Amino acid sequence: MGPLIPNELIPLEWNFIIAILIGIAFGYILEASGFSSSRKLTGVFYGYDFAVLKVFFTAAIVAVIGLYYLDYLNIIDISQLYIQPTYLWAAIIGGVIMGVGFLAGGFCPGTSLCAVAIGKIDGIVFVIGLMIGVFIFSESFSLIEPLVTSSNLGHITLSESLGVPSYWLILIITIIAIIAFAFSDWVRSKVKKVFY
Amino acid sequence: MSKRYKSKKFLAKRRYTILAITLIALAGGLVLLPKHIANEGIKPELFVKNVMSSERFISTDLLAEKLVNIDPSVLLIDTRSEKEFNEFALPNAINIPLKNLLDDDYIGFIDQDIYDVILYSNDSFYANQAWMIGNRLGFKNMYVLEGGLNKWFSTIINPKYPEETMPREAFELYNLRKATGMFFGVGVIDIERERETTKKIKAKPKPVKKKVTPKPKKKKRVPEGGC
Repeated sequence: MGPLIPNELIPLEWNFIIAILIGIAFGYILEASGFSSSRKLTGVFYGYDFAVLKVFFTAAIVAVIGLYYLDYLNIIDISQLYIQPTYLWAAIIGGVIMGVGFLAGGFCPGTSLCAVAIGKIDGIVFVIGLMIGVFIFSESFSLIEPLVTSSNLGHITLSESLGVPSYWLILIITIIAIIAFAFSDWVRSKVKKVFY
Repeated sequence: MSKRYKSKKFLAKRRYTILAITLIALAGGLVLLPKHIANEGIKPELFVKNVMSSERFISTDLLAEKLVNIDPSVLLIDTRSEKEFNEFALPNAINIPLKNLLDDDYIGFIDQDIYDVILYSNDSFYANQAWMIGNRLGFKNMYVLEGGLNKWFSTIINPKYPEETMPREAFELYNLRKATGMFFGVGVIDIERERETTKKIKAKPKPVKKKVTPKPKKKKRVPEGGC
């Protein structure tokens, strides 16, 4: 049956409307979970709050398990879903830059906009910095283009590159997630509590 | 701490355990579910989409470039009959006639994802049919030489000289095609012939005889007698 748009169950124009609805829901959940506070996000690095890790990891696992059940029941066709191509080195270097920015600023792009929406000054400063970063990236794109476009591994998935069936991989990652949650709880109990 | 609070805290803790167990059970369920293959090969919708797309075609120029550079990832497959293959074939091509495409001896060449398989025939028809069979069965990295050998001849072996009003790119392409054609042994004989003739010319320059027109000598006048 699905995905809905490639199989022409709903017209292409719905893409934007669905995207806006999902975006609003996502922003609401981010704000409701307190992610618009930079202290909550940096808590992962200092070990006093692991909500970010738990929320995002749980979301990923629930989504992947749900998608594979839907695929099994022929409601959605996994092979028709778009897989973002992997640019290995670009992803590694970009990940490092993003991590440093995350730790220094206390926001990721989504939560920074949430913070702006509720009028946080540090969020506004962060978004201005983000825009400057985007500007520098665009202006120097011709210089860094080789890095951005090289080491393209194509639309690969973990199960393809490791040669492990996806069902097993999902089980393994779920177990890893549960262990990570338990471990983060243990770390949190050891670290001095921070109230904010 | 009241008793109620304690029981609430206990429940809250247990809630996470229950959620964790549910997640693992669901993920384990995926592993335990009996596997079924919905289709042999790819789904019909995807197949039709692939057939309609022209992504499978590769131009003769691109193939020539790959052959000139001795690209190791290319696997050329000739889908014509054995007789035609023996008369002429592209360098390093493997002959798999269309009717034998799925024979045990040959299927290993097509059903793999190491090489880029480029299928060709006289035109694109046989190659297209072979591509369709392979694509339906989910074989990867298959391409079709657009226009087949006919286009190969009209572009690489015997490219048409562009008209004078054509843009510079057309002339550059012509020169490139001529040069690649030489790689496949076309025009080399002509050049050697030309070289020989030029040698001959150099060795025996035709002696150009200067025409000497002798000036008529003035005859000394014999003194006429008379005095």
